[in-house]
Amino acid sequence: MIAFWIVGIVVIASAVWTITAKKPVYSVVALLINFGALAVLYVSLSAEFLAVMQIIVYSGAILVLFVFVIALLSSGVAPFSLGPNRLPRIAVPAGIVVLAALGFLVYAVLHAAPVSMAAHAPATTGPVGTAGIFGSVADFGKALFTVQLLPFEITALILMVAVIGVVALAGDQVPYVPSRRRAAQVERAAREAILRGGE
Amino acid sequence: MSAVHHSLGVAGNYPMLVALWLLPLAGAVVCWAFGPRLKAFCGWLASAAIAASFVLAVLLWGAGTQHAGNALGANQPLFSWIAGTFDFGLLLDPLSLLWTFIITGVGFLIHFYSIGYMEGDRAYARFFAYMNFFVFAMLTLVLSDNFVGLLVGWGLVGLASYFLIGFWFERRTAVAAARKAFVLNVVGDVGIMFAVFALVAAIHSVSFGDAFAAAGSFGTPLLFGICIALFIGAAAKSAQVPLHTWLPDAMEGPTPVSALIHAATMVTAGVYLIARCAPLWNASADARMLAGTIGAITAIAGAILGCVQWDIKRILAYSTMSQIGYMIVGVGVGAYEGGVAHFFTHAFFKAQLFLASGLIIHALANEQDVRRMGGLRKKLPFAFWAILTGVLSICGIPGFSGFFSKDEVIYGALLHGHPWIYATCIVTAGLTAYYMFRLLFVTFLGEYRGNVDHPHAPGWVMNLPVAILIVPTVAIGAVLLYGGEHSPWSRYFAPQFAPAQLPAVPALTELQTSGIVLIVVLAGLAIAWVRYATRAAQAGAVERLRREAERTPAFLVNLFYFDTIIDLAFVRTSQLLGTLVARVLDPHLIDGAVRELAAITRSAGTLVRSLETGLLRAYALILAFGAACFIIYYALAAGGAH
Amino acid sequence: MPLKSNARHAKRFCGVANSGGRVVPVAIGNYIALSAVMFFIGVTGVLVRRNPLIMLMSIELMFNAANLLFIAFARAWLANVGHIFAFLVITVAAAEAAIGLAIVVTTFRSEPNVDVDEVRLMRG
Repeated sequence: MIAFWIVGIVVIASAVWTITAKKPVYSVVALLINFGALAVLYVSLSAEFLAVMQIIVYSGAILVLFVFVIALLSSGVAPFSLGPNRLPRIAVPAGIVVLAALGFLVYAVLHAAPVSMAAHAPATTGPVGTAGIFGSVADFGKALFTVQLLPFEITALILMVAVIGVVALAGDQVPYVPSRRRAAQVERAAREAILRGGE
Repeated sequence: MSAVHHSLGVAGNYPMLVALWLLPLAGAVVCWAFGPRLKAFCGWLASAAIAASFVLAVLLWGAGTQHAGNALGANQPLFSWIAGTFDFGLLLDPLSLLWTFIITGVGFLIHFYSIGYMEGDRAYARFFAYMNFFVFAMLTLVLSDNFVGLLVGWGLVGLASYFLIGFWFERRTAVAAARKAFVLNVVGDVGIMFAVFALVAAIHSVSFGDAFAAAGSFGTPLLFGICIALFIGAAAKSAQVPLHTWLPDAMEGPTPVSALIHAATMVTAGVYLIARCAPLWNASADARMLAGTIGAITAIAGAILGCVQWDIKRILAYSTMSQIGYMIVGVGVGAYEGGVAHFFTHAFFKAQLFLASGLIIHALANEQDVRRMGGLRKKLPFAFWAILTGVLSICGIPGFSGFFSKDEVIYGALLHGHPWIYATCIVTAGLTAYYMFRLLFVTFLGEYRGNVDHPHAPGWVMNLPVAILIVPTVAIGAVLLYGGEHSPWSRYFAPQFAPAQLPAVPALTELQTSGIVLIVVLAGLAIAWVRYATRAAQAGAVERLRREAERTPAFLVNLFYFDTIIDLAFVRTSQLLGTLVARVLDPHLIDGAVRELAAITRSAGTLVRSLETGLLRAYALILAFGAACFIIYYALAAGGAH
Repeated sequence: MPLKSNARHAKRFCGVANSGGRVVPVAIGNYIALSAVMFFIGVTGVLVRRNPLIMLMSIELMFNAANLLFIAFARAWLANVGHIFAFLVITVAAAEAAIGLAIVVTTFRSEPNVDVDEVRLMRG
């Protein structure tokens, strides 16, 4: 129980740091800590495979992607500078309502009829590769490739769509001209001149 | 109600009757359609159509006066609507036969006269088309055997009158007069319509026969109501007070129109209606009192106003109004034969007077003001003698036709127990003499006061009808009406009108009445003589007439303020209402409602548009806000459920 | 570097589970509350911050809150499908992050300010 509380505080603290950090890189690090704490929670919930998957995919791939983009957007004299706040004044009370909803939610949850956790965790230990162990790789794999085959295929589809989308969005969009490199250089020089001109 | 349908006439097939009725319509259609090509021939064609109708009417004398049991006259059924309930047809009995004679006979003479009078007019063919159409409409009115046919004729006659009064439509006064006449006539139409409604509600039929057969079973209020409604129609058409204001203005039309429509035939439609509905009037004493009183008031009002007019046609118009008042008195109180007799003689001498005055107007190049006439006895002698005969007849000088019919009406009022009406009629007779002789003296005696150097004497086409009309103007009374109960007139109408129950033996005999009337008439003549005909009066005629015009009291100049009252009460109110709707209701309420709808839509759009900030965070906030609302709701609902 | 510290975290708790001792089950309401708080922190991050990258990271926070719920209820009902669905969520989050970042790169490559409020072409 105490462990839960400690991990919970880490989760929340790192989440708060994520959204309040001044520099995006700090946010990435905070998010990393958050994912780690969540992995710990997953393990405590007998979902070892998912915990590892979380670390590998989320921390290892997605956050790295974020870091790359931060690097890409950091060019320029004043990176990540902000313009004026344009949200209308009505936003404040609306935001308060949103937060009040959180309060209501927590209240409702804590005063709801409790859902009983399964009393004993049946067979959470055993030889590696046995399919009957809840939360193990084998268990997960067996379910994924037999009963839940459709989500698996859909996953593949989603990933393909994502790749195509990214390429279509951020890929080369100008027709090939021999002097493209020269055009890119000129463009970059012009951009830097604009940025410098804003000083 | 009753399955038995009473027919007034002997039913059968009378093709001559149908031809008589439709010939004028054919003439009108031909003149309308081929007018421009036929040009001057239209006049002869139209006159021939009317002449043919007259000949047919003469040939139908036997059918019209046949008497078989209860049926009098000829009934030609035309068609049935709702078979067995509404049957429409033509009825030719002594009453409608007499009217047909006048309409076609005098109508023919006037058509003939118009060939000369309207010569050179740009719309020559249209005039004759309208005149023929009028004759057709009037025949529809008098030949119908049911109230609806009569109403159709009634309306068509009003329409023809509108056409003909406004014939010279380039003149604004003519158009206004036509409109005034039509509107007032429509008031009368509505009255007759209500009478028809009441009849249909009561007896489920509109034919004369059924209505008269059931007259006894109506009950006093319903009967009086029907009679009032019919009388409103009669008053509008026959220019009785207070619906008379259109008649003087109707003189804007050409003189033949005034002669035919506004003297001889159309304005007598009211008299016809009351005479036709004699059984209804016999059953209702209140209706008789009403008709008699209104008739008497009209007679004396018309006479008074005729004394102060300066336009020759207007003098004659008020004279017509007054004489029709006499006719209404006659048929109103129950002296049907007298009233119809006065119609008969009046048709001749009034048409005569109008046509002869048309000779003068034509000769003096459309001059109508008597102050600019005078001394025409030497310049237009024929017109002088013609008008003299008409004046003598209208005044009731013994021996002339007007004398017989007028005395019959006046004595009839006394016979049927209306002493005040009797007295009024006698006074009116004196006034009639005064203003008619005033007309004669001012126009024909003394020196010529006008501007036309050489009066252009009219040709034979115009003189001939006037000459022909002199004969009945003078003599027809003596021929037909002399002899009281044994006169040809009384024998003709004996089967038509049931003998009336006379209330009491009157105080004066007919001879005494005639004597009183003669004295009054001579008094009027004498006064007119002194004022206008003596050497002294003629000496300073221009000055005297001018002073007389200035000294006329205002309430006479303004025609007893009838026009003013009608204008204020009805015309101004309607205009005010119209202005109110046009200036206030329409732009503010109706247009305003539409504009407000548009404004609401626009402001709603602007309101919704304020959400379109383009800010990503704002949209996200809206999403979150919506989700939060759901969460709060379910939290509260679920919390409450637990 | 980050992997190692995570592995250290994992080892500590893994040891407790592997020893066969009973882990005192935590009431699921706690997990739900934790998930809710984390979710709302994510929402706040999206609404308040104007840097698009921070917004995307806040969205990742929301995804993880949902994942936590799936895993918790999978444990509560001993249903494998929770894990499968959490796996699906991770995949979708990855795809979404990729595409979102591509959009961010494309949009803000030529903007002086990396500020979401500056992109207002859909105004009106």
